Amino acid sequence: MQDFRTLKLLDRFEKVFSTFGIDYKIMRKILQVKLMMDRRRVPTIFTQNAKKNQEEDKNQYIKSLWIYVLFGLFMVPFMLMGENYLFQMSLFFGIFTFFVMTSMISDFSSVLLDIRDRNILFPKPVDRKSISAAKAVHIFIYISFLTIALVTIPLLVGLVIHGPLFLLVTIFNIILIDIFVVVLTALIYMFVLKFFDGEKLKDIINYVQIGLSLAIMVGYQLLVRSFEFIDLTVALEPRWWQGFIFPMWYGANIELVMNGHLVPFYVSLSLLGILIPLISIWLYTRLLPAFEQNLQKLSYHGKAKVKKRSKLGGAILTFICTSNEEKAFFRFASLMMKNERDFKLKVYPSLGFSIVIPFIFIMNGFNTDLSNLSTSKSYLTIYFSLIIIPTVMVMLKYSGKYKGAWIYKVTPIKQLKPMFSGTIKAFLVKLFFPLYILLSLIMIALFGVRILPDLITVFINACTYCVICFMILNKSIPFSASFDTANQNSNSGILFMLMLFVPVFAGLHFVSTLIPFGSFIYLLVAFIVLLIVWKPAFNLTWEKISD
Amino acid sequence: MTEEIVTINNLQKRYGGKTVLNGVSFTVKRGEIIGYIGPNGAGKSTTVKIMLGIEDDFSGEVTIFGQDISDGDMEYKRKIGYVPEIAEVYDNLTGHEYLTFIGELYGLDFELADYKAKSLMELFGVGEVYYSRIASYSKGMRQKLLIISSLLHNPELLFFDEPINGLDANSVMIFKEIMTQLAAQGKTIFYSSHIMDVVEKISSRIILLHEGKIAADGTFNQLKAQNTEGSLEQIFNQLTGFSEHKELGARFVSIVGEM
Repeated sequence: MQDFRTLKLLDRFEKVFSTFGIDYKIMRKILQVKLMMDRRRVPTIFTQNAKKNQEEDKNQYIKSLWIYVLFGLFMVPFMLMGENYLFQMSLFFGIFTFFVMTSMISDFSSVLLDIRDRNILFPKPVDRKSISAAKAVHIFIYISFLTIALVTIPLLVGLVIHGPLFLLVTIFNIILIDIFVVVLTALIYMFVLKFFDGEKLKDIINYVQIGLSLAIMVGYQLLVRSFEFIDLTVALEPRWWQGFIFPMWYGANIELVMNGHLVPFYVSLSLLGILIPLISIWLYTRLLPAFEQNLQKLSYHGKAKVKKRSKLGGAILTFICTSNEEKAFFRFASLMMKNERDFKLKVYPSLGFSIVIPFIFIMNGFNTDLSNLSTSKSYLTIYFSLIIIPTVMVMLKYSGKYKGAWIYKVTPIKQLKPMFSGTIKAFLVKLFFPLYILLSLIMIALFGVRILPDLITVFINACTYCVICFMILNKSIPFSASFDTANQNSNSGILFMLMLFVPVFAGLHFVSTLIPFGSFIYLLVAFIVLLIVWKPAFNLTWEKISD
Repeated sequence: MTEEIVTINNLQKRYGGKTVLNGVSFTVKRGEIIGYIGPNGAGKSTTVKIMLGIEDDFSGEVTIFGQDISDGDMEYKRKIGYVPEIAEVYDNLTGHEYLTFIGELYGLDFELADYKAKSLMELFGVGEVYYSRIASYSKGMRQKLLIISSLLHNPELLFFDEPINGLDANSVMIFKEIMTQLAAQGKTIFYSSHIMDVVEKISSRIILLHEGKIAADGTFNQLKAQNTEGSLEQIFNQLTGFSEHKELGARFVSIVGEM
């Protein structure tokens, strides 16, 4: 087993642990194993484009930290803004909290929620205290890395601009926030586990992971814009509800120390900032035994509610799918897309991105003047939402539960058509359509009802585009391959080529708007094209499937 | 009626340079319960996987229901049920969602599949988890789900690979009774297991595979007559040429004792 520098550093504090009655050797052993397991884990931020790296010696987590260094830059403007400490530092701490908290939930839930500890370590002759200490130190190591990556650069900037006192108070605040975030996360988990079962909690964690991935994708786009905030000066009026926004507690104490505003409002906020983390630690230690009990729920099965199939849903299904087999695959694919967490983590962020990206382009186009928006043709930026289709089409063959795919071979599936058409229809109807409706509603609000025929055309083109992608991409059985193989045979060349179809669709659309009734003609043409390509695309035999 | 359900003729299969099956031939008649046994790595699961079309690229002839399975027609699978040894399922689905999907793949109507799956789950004592995700099931529950998924479409031929793995004693009794009744109806069952006394009791015929070849084929009484040993376990040891268990056990324990 290899040794870790972190642990060697920890060795210097051996005496401290020993005085608390902790078996340091055992704790160190446990930590060593845990850190090694961490190295083999790919953090959420990387899952977007990570392939399983065989070099195990590099900690994937440490490598992911540079992204946080980048996001640290995002916080630099708040240091430069001036001396409106309450406002700028509240935002600073708010962003800091967001990153620590989401990263905590998405990547370190496995530590907080590890029930293997109970099964593997508890039967061994190791005292509980050492196990809990190992857990605490593990989290501490993780969160220090994260914090250092995030705030080092902003703090150095802060030191230069505001001086050493500012630095000291901010570091003090950051430590308090770290403690509060860890305890708050644990308390939230306790709360969820108290009322729901483990599956629900895993779903919640999954959605936070999706949110984090999306936030980072969008964050890249907005990073540059954040510097435009620099001139913003906002005077904050004291309000009672501000007491609940905990980054403000820390903004307030900096205001207090740096500007010497000794008003009761700032004093009370600052006091909250110190007291609440301390109270929450006390609460946590009191509730910990109950938490450990509830953790067992993670492996329990809750008694689930019977889901009635709605009549309307059935009618729509019959309308969409022709054969019973196709219906079966439609239902199956919808469920997999809805329930499979790995799939969601890989696909949902890009779906969210597809909503955001048209508006980024609209905003770029109308940086200064929004008045002639409603008569412009900027709504065609909705085509940007189509660029995620090839990626999702590739992803459809992957699943975290890919081993279940033996059923395809065992069951008498003669025709492959319903399998593929059902799955693609499920993607279009269950994933793409809701997003598209949302996007369309926003577009209609911006551009008026006049664009309705265009929006329908774009959706029909999206369907056609799906079929084209399916025809060009390698055909594989849906949900039958491991995500680990996802990046090995690089698809990026084909994906890029497929994306070139989008400007073609959009270009034709633009041309059609120039001629009278062009939109309607284009709508009709698009519909006919879809009918023509749909049928033959799915006529496949088993031989054409690449394993 | 002695109808031939499965005919295998000189089946051979290689993985890379390693020969897994080296000329296996047998015929299975309607209503037989075949105990298919052999040491780890003898090729039992491979034979079953070939018959199900999960593995291809073999040489030899495999005929099921009178149809050569390499002709590309999937129709013969409609009358086959399969419980795999390693229970890989799409466990992010609920039992309800998974079983109805499997049922529909076999051509059952959704409502019928749902009704049958639910009733069978209830009879097997796991009705309360029908609407829960399979990921939360215990090992026994998963195994019951797999058994049910293999029977939903009322198949003629069944492949059970360690089907009672993880079932409690009572459920094992139910399962044995199910097998007996199915066989009485004329269903053919192919039963692979390492638990010799169960195989000894339920099988109407035993096929022992060793190093890719058939080492013995016949009823338990025939095997007993051919060999000097009494139980199937002992016959198994004798036919696979294994007699060192005492010595190996002793060495194992002596290393355990070293400090």
